[in-house]
Amino acid sequence: MTEFIPKLVCFSCKFGWGYLNSNGYDKQIKNLIPVICIGKVDTTHIIGAFKDGADGLLILGCPDGQCHFKTGNYQARKRVFLLHNILEEFGIEPGRLKIALDIDPEGTRIPLIIEEMRTEVGSLGPLSPMV
Amino acid sequence: MWNTISFGEACVEPAIKQFLAPCQERCPINEDIQRTNVLISLLPEDLEQAKEGLTQIGDYLFENNPFFPVCGYVCGICELGCNYQSKGGSIRRRLLKRFVSDHYLDHLDKKQEYGVVKDAGNVAVVGGGPGGLMCAFHLSKKGYKVTMFEASGRLGGALWLIPHYRLPKVVLQRVIENMLRVASIDVKYNSKLGEGNLSLDKLRKDGYKAVFIAKGTPSPRVLTFGRDLVDNLDLDGVMYGQTFLYEVSRGILAKDYLGGKAAIVIGGGNVAFDVARSARRLGGDITLVALECSDKSSKDCIPADYEEIRGAWEEGIRIIYSRGVSKILGEGGRFTGIVSPKCISVFDKEGRFNPQFDIEDAITVNGDVLIVTVGQGPDWAFLQQEGLLDNQRRLAIDPLTLQSHTKEWVFLGGDVRRVGFMVDAMREGREAAVSIERYLKGLDIKAGRKRQFEAFAIPQLKDEDYRSEPEVVWIPADRRLNFQLFEQGFSLEEAIAEARRCLYCGPCASCRACVSVGIQDDLPTVVIHENLCSGCGICVSSCHYSAAHLKEAGGSLVAATDMFRCKACGVCVPSCPAGARELIGSEMEKRIAEVYASL
Repeated sequence: MTEFIPKLVCFSCKFGWGYLNSNGYDKQIKNLIPVICIGKVDTTHIIGAFKDGADGLLILGCPDGQCHFKTGNYQARKRVFLLHNILEEFGIEPGRLKIALDIDPEGTRIPLIIEEMRTEVGSLGPLSPMV
Repeated sequence: MWNTISFGEACVEPAIKQFLAPCQERCPINEDIQRTNVLISLLPEDLEQAKEGLTQIGDYLFENNPFFPVCGYVCGICELGCNYQSKGGSIRRRLLKRFVSDHYLDHLDKKQEYGVVKDAGNVAVVGGGPGGLMCAFHLSKKGYKVTMFEASGRLGGALWLIPHYRLPKVVLQRVIENMLRVASIDVKYNSKLGEGNLSLDKLRKDGYKAVFIAKGTPSPRVLTFGRDLVDNLDLDGVMYGQTFLYEVSRGILAKDYLGGKAAIVIGGGNVAFDVARSARRLGGDITLVALECSDKSSKDCIPADYEEIRGAWEEGIRIIYSRGVSKILGEGGRFTGIVSPKCISVFDKEGRFNPQFDIEDAITVNGDVLIVTVGQGPDWAFLQQEGLLDNQRRLAIDPLTLQSHTKEWVFLGGDVRRVGFMVDAMREGREAAVSIERYLKGLDIKAGRKRQFEAFAIPQLKDEDYRSEPEVVWIPADRRLNFQLFEQGFSLEEAIAEARRCLYCGPCASCRACVSVGIQDDLPTVVIHENLCSGCGICVSSCHYSAAHLKEAGGSLVAATDMFRCKACGVCVPSCPAGARELIGSEMEKRIAEVYASL
């Protein structure tokens, strides 16, 4: 049986992750979408990712009090929290949607966190396609 | 490391009324405070790696304000305008600037000269203080051959009155030396205008096409009681604070010059406290006597900064409030004390300086030395001689362009025109440079000079999200009685944390730090599809920069975005239940489509 490699999508905040890395890290990491603030990540984007075939979605933002726009990370956390409850009703386990809040100027931890998530989602198995 | 482009002047649009962060609006030279705060907040946490970024920030500040390292030690007017004051304490911007300067000075010593070709004409700048130096710097950059005429043997003017425990000597010296070197400014020392044959006419004959006079206020104000000069000002042991501070700065007074002596300092301003604290450091037992009271809510409150008063008190200086000097006592030609009546009011109902006393309530304060620090004035005789005064014996000048009304090729600014802070003189030096350039090119000097600024209010956060200001660390008072700097500056970690505390109140147009750092290529724009908008107002509550609001359109309410206040963060976009908002110019949607298609 071929090993299941989950398809992940990752949103990362430009003011908190990798802003000192000028090597175009976002081009190097597949499925990484840098955004100006994770407060901008909409529920439609999250649900859309699962609809289009993602097995897991990771959001990387800034810790409390460190958001450049002050409350964007709080908006994102609210959204993830509410979505966890709703997605579960539809059979999408909460472990498939994760939010991590930290500051990583070089962006070196992004591949590591993605790998971790890949292992976790891998044990959950592939997501059945939505109607 | 970054692409911090310098636009020469603060990158604000050349409109007549401009929106700025309140700190920038308060700063007399409208420095790019928000931009430098953002850049500092994005520095790497390793000092070695951060040095390149700090050099870029420093270079950017230097272009418009070559004095910025000095500001980091002595200014901080911006903090008085900071919106955070009411929510936990102003951002300690002065210390942030000092942090940049501490790591920039080494680079400044090696900074390359501008090498501008000086063929636009000869201009003379009279007075080597901050006003004159700033004017000379900016004119040199514009291609004028500037010659400075300084009366003493060193440049810096009133900046030398600031004691070295507040502004280290090496900082001031390096700033001035490098400014002269980088902009290639010529200086004639020991050349006092009004002495010998040096006059405005002589400058004219020698080929100087315009002159900027920034001679400052060299004459200390004398002590008066009512309308009369107080007797005995010529006793041994009586001196003026200004003279005293200049002598201290030259290092010619012995370390225990006032050892075992009781000194009385008269005055309530920052200069009087500089005198008192310097005298204390020379071994004296100091009493400061001020007309004003200690009640900060009163109209007569003491003008000195709270930090100076606190420092003086910690250092063992006695402060006597609400008293004046009616008599100076002496014996055998030496000063022995003062008679000090109670001052019941300093300013009258019209706000004029008109002290009223209760002579019955008078005390005698004994001392060996009296230092009078009640202000200083310009060299009126020189101004009169050169015909620069009007019929009321005031300076005949246009305060907007700084051009003299009596001699169109003469411009004046700084303390000589109106006593102010260092940065006020710097602002006038810069304005005079603009006026002189326009005058020499035959352009309209006045057009567009009157600038109006409006400060933005504080972004709305939850109360628990506001953080208090970091404590300022001073050496304990008992180890402070020398002229070493006693205030501890920020470490890199503290500087980044404080820069991150800043709320970035001001508009994006005057900042663009994120573009310089490479976070985005340009500032996106928020648009509203009015046909989809129901006017529910949810976006208004999601935007805490007060950019999203509702407006009337065809009889109903629709959402709108104030382009000046919008930060293009896009947080309002997902908050709209109807999907009526969109962020144009952001690559996010495109990238999402790409990534999702590949799943």
